[in-house]
Order: sequence, then structure tokens, then C-alpha cells
Amino acid sequence: MDSVRQLKVQRYEDFVDRRLKPDLVRAIAERDKVFESQKIFSDLRKSIETLEKNAATSLRTMVNLGSEVYMQADVPDTRHIFVDVGLGFHVEFTWPEALEFISVKEARLAKQIDEYTLLIASIKVQIKMVCEGIQELLQLSSA
Amino acid sequence: MAQREKGTVTSLASLVSAEEAQKAAKRVEGSIAEHQKELDRIRHFISDNNNLINHIQKLPDELHHDIMVPFGKAAFFPGRLIHTNEFTVLLGEGYYVQRTSKQTVGILQRRGEVLDSQVESLKAMMLDLKAEASFFGSTAAEAAEGLVEIREEYVEEHPTERMSNEADSEKPDTSSSSKVHNVEVASEDEEYARIMSRFNELEKEELETEHVDEDTDFGCSINKHSFEQLKISEGHLLGNSSLKQNSESLGQSQQNSAERSTVEILNVQQVPEDNYLRRESSPQKGTSNSTKPLPQPVKEKAQAANASKSEISDVKATIETGFDSTKAFTGSIVEHAHGLLANAASETTSSQSTGLRTSKPVSRFKMQRGSR
Repeated sequence: MDSVRQLKVQRYEDFVDRRLKPDLVRAIAERDKVFESQKIFSDLRKSIETLEKNAATSLRTMVNLGSEVYMQADVPDTRHIFVDVGLGFHVEFTWPEALEFISVKEARLAKQIDEYTLLIASIKVQIKMVCEGIQELLQLSSA
Repeated sequence: MAQREKGTVTSLASLVSAEEAQKAAKRVEGSIAEHQKELDRIRHFISDNNNLINHIQKLPDELHHDIMVPFGKAAFFPGRLIHTNEFTVLLGEGYYVQRTSKQTVGILQRRGEVLDSQVESLKAMMLDLKAEASFFGSTAAEAAEGLVEIREEYVEEHPTERMSNEADSEKPDTSSSSKVHNVEVASEDEEYARIMSRFNELEKEELETEHVDEDTDFGCSINKHSFEQLKISEGHLLGNSSLKQNSESLGQSQQNSAERSTVEILNVQQVPEDNYLRRESSPQKGTSNSTKPLPQPVKEKAQAANASKSEISDVKATIETGFDSTKAFTGSIVEHAHGLLANAASETTSSQSTGLRTSKPVSRFKMQRGSR
């Protein structure tokens, strides 16, 4: 009887270590990625708002060529901007269109973050529950 | 066999267990893999760097290049690169410097050199680790096979060589030539010396077998007494003029042969690193003192022998001192006595054999050689 219980405890522990914990790590990594893209789009929104405020139609900037080597670049017309809409597609927007897209995108990203947060919480709950189960088994066996 | 030596025999498995050696080998393999990853990363940097150098060299060819100018990470503007010969390069610590294309290429090449040296050091480390891993692997295999490790104190290899050298130098009649020869011989190729020793050994065996036939001719000189005399005269040459040294020198020679026999036993056990092994010509003779292969000095002597008769006799003496005193000796001893006579004859009690030897030593030697 004890050996059966021992085996059960062993299997629960394996489930926590090999299934739930890796799942948790993966979910957290995914959520971090979404956070990152959320930050990118909020930055872009701020930049476009700054351009709008200054009514800058031309722009001179520095381009990173790699290994922190920069070269000057000239943008003659800033009214049209190409924005990454996902899967490698870039769409040509005007400023208002871009801002509209960014707000939609940000809402979508916020939703994704909520989903991931839920997923992470549920995985944590599962881990906790299995740990409780193991504890119960051990208490029974010791009693 | 082992009990007869001063050396010790240890099973390799008792020192290193096969499993532990394998574990160590695996650990080293793991660190090799890590280094390999690091190496790949640096190689990636190097290729990036080279691409950038090529790119930067081409950029000033045009006045401007049409590109998509990145605006944040998710957006682009259509635009163009301007001022194509002006680069702003990060030097580190937040310092930037404006350089031309050529100057930038110089900076990047120096960065590339640093990366190359890193690759070199990583490669060297990996070679070391690989050698280590293969060593652990082979150790594990050897331990599993039940290999034994044999250790023994280093024993002076050629005690007779020094003896005869001293004898040479103290001989007034031969010193001039023998010294010169000794110097030349010392610089001779070892390989050649080894071959010569083999020749010498075979000659000696031949002499011994022939001795049975020629016993009647040299009967008077071949007896134990003459051998003892030889010992005495040798003792004298070494500076021990008193007869008391006689027994000592005999004992020494016997000790020498005993030491050699231990060396031979070592050879038979086939320790891979053992230098003796290469010198060993016939392992099955290992237990017999009389057929023991002669050490190097004798070979060198043999080369010198071509130049002077006295040298030859010296060689013979060297050979025979390593033998049991119970062994009968042939004309070679006679020749030796000839070499010694000039300074030794007066001190040693003259016997009939001595007288006989003085009369025609050289011709007798020739006779012996000719009869072969």
C-alpha cells in the first residue's frame, strides 16, 4: 500500500516538474514578448503624435548599419508611413490611419496579455493543487 | 616476476574505476560542446563583421542610396541614405566618433582581429579538452581491460661503460686514440649504436660457440684463473691497485648483471612508455644473464674497435665483465690482456697465459676472426 502511495507521489511530482513548470515558463516568455510589442507600438504612437504636433514633413535621422555604425538618412516625405501589421506585412498609412491602427493593435495586445496572465495564473493554481495533493498523500501515509 | 624487482605492479582498475573515467570523459565532452557553441557565436560575429566591412566599402560609391528608413521597430519611411562617406561609429562607453568609410573599415578590421584571436584561443582550448576527453576515454577502456601499471626506480643503465671509459683514459698506450674515438662515438647516432650492439652481441655468441672448438688451442689461457687476473688488472686500472679490490670488482660485475636482468624483466612486461623496450632485442632471453643484450656503451666501443686493436680488446673486456665468472672465456680475453699489458702486466702476477698473450696477441685475434 505504501509503495502504491509512494508511486503516486512520484508521478505527481513528475507531472509538476516536467509538465506544469515548463508550461509556466513558456507562458511567461510569451507574455513578455507581447509586452515588448505593446511597448513598440506605444512608442510608435508617441513618435507619430510628436510628428503631428511639429507638422514635420521631412526628417533626417541616423540609421544603424550594424555593429553600432550609423549613417545619416534623409526622409523627404513623412506623411506616409509603413507600419508592420504582422506576419511580415507592412501597410502604407497616413498619420491618422496609423494612429487608428495602433490603437486597435494595442487593444488586441492588451487582450492577449490578459489571456496570458490568466493562463499563467491557472498553471500556478494547478501546480499548487498538485502540491497540496502530494502533501495530503504524505500526511495519510504518515498517519 | 614482480617480487624479484624493486618496482611495484598496480592494477589500473584499482586506481581509476572505469565508470568514473567515463563520467569524467562525459563531463569534458559537455564542456567541449559549450565551447563549440561559443565558437559558433563568435564565428557568427565574424561573418557579420565581414559583411558589414564589405557593405561599408561599397556605400561611398554612390551619392545616396534609396532605403526604407526604420522608424521605431515596427514602422518605416521611404527615404535615402545621404552623406555616404560619413559614418558615426560607437567606440564604447557611449562615445561616438565620425569616420570616413576607410577609417571605419580599419576600426572594423581591428575588431575582427580581436574576434579571430578569440577564435584561436577557443580552438586551442577545445584541442586541449579533446585530448583530455580521449585520455579519459582510453583510461576507462584500459581500466576495463585490466591493464596494470608497473613502476620501478631508475637503475643506472651502463655501469660497465664508465668503468671501461676510465680504463681507456688511464691506459697510456691507447689513450690518445681511444679518447678521440670516445668523443666521436658519443656523438654517433643512437640508432646506429643500437644496431652495432646487436652485431656485437651476435659476434659474442658466435665466439662462445666457437670457443668450444678452439678450446684446445687456447687451453692455457682459458681458465678461471686468467679471468680472475683480468679482474685484478681492471681493478688496478680503476685506481684500485691492491688485490683486495679483486673480490670487490667481481662483486660489482655480478651486481651489474643482476641489475640488467631486472631491466630485462621490465622489458618483458611491455610497459609502453618504457625506453628499454626499444632497446630490447629478444625478450625470451630475459632471464639469462649470459645472453643479455648489451647496453649501448658496448656498441659505441664496437665502432671504435675498427680503429685500433686495443680498443677491440677493451670492448671484449666490457662485455665479459658483465658475465658470470663461471663462464669460460675465449681469445677475446687474451686480446684484452694485450691491451692491458703495457701498464698492468708488471703488477699482476705473471702466469703462463700472460706470457703467451704478450707474444702474439694481435695475430691471435686475427686468427679468431678469420676462423669465423
